[in-house]
Amino acid sequence: MKNNVKIARVQVNLTQQQLAEKIGVTRQTISLIEKGKYNPTLKLCLDICYTVNKTLDEIFWIEKGSDESEKD
Amino acid sequence: MKKIKDERLVLQNLKNIRIAFIIQTIGIIGILAYDLITKGFDGMRDNPLWMVFMITGIVTAYLSMNISVDHEEESKSPKRGLVISLSVVGAISIVIGLLVSITDGYNVLDGVLMGGILLACGLVPVIYIYFLRKKRQDDI
Repeated sequence: MKNNVKIARVQVNLTQQQLAEKIGVTRQTISLIEKGKYNPTLKLCLDICYTVNKTLDEIFWIEKGSDESEKD
Repeated sequence: MKKIKDERLVLQNLKNIRIAFIIQTIGIIGILAYDLITKGFDGMRDNPLWMVFMITGIVTAYLSMNISVDHEEESKSPKRGLVISLSVVGAISIVIGLLVSITDGYNVLDGVLMGGILLACGLVPVIYIYFLRKKRQDDI
């Protein structure tokens, strides 16, 4: 799943490690989410949004059909 | 050791446990099969692993009822299902009870006992399913 976590994280000057610590997950999980290789739960998505001061659709919204090749 | 809070790792951990469970089950089946070949059916049942295997099977069956109730079509009314299941279980118990009591070497008491045991064993899952369906209907 494509998302804008990396852009939003860089905008608030956080490293993967710092973001991970604030949310309470491991750095690897953040890395996998940014690469689109892990599908986070809604709760984790919200935690990320709160931390980088963005809304869910700014970070995770994708147009219908634009992600079909990457379904997992 | 710290408790794992990362949801991805928790999920991964569950998947690992599933693999371990599969290996364990294969091991138990292997040991039981070995006992079956070398000591026969009664020898296999003497092995405490047989009990473990049976209990695990029963627990799995009950847990999977939770899933199949959610999976089935909505149209079924719980009461109707309960009545049908009860009559089937009752009919089977009565037939088996009758057959046992007319068999040589067994008396009527044995038939009643056998039928009663079957009825009790059949009632538990039937009532459990009824409560699961009823709960699901109330949840909507």
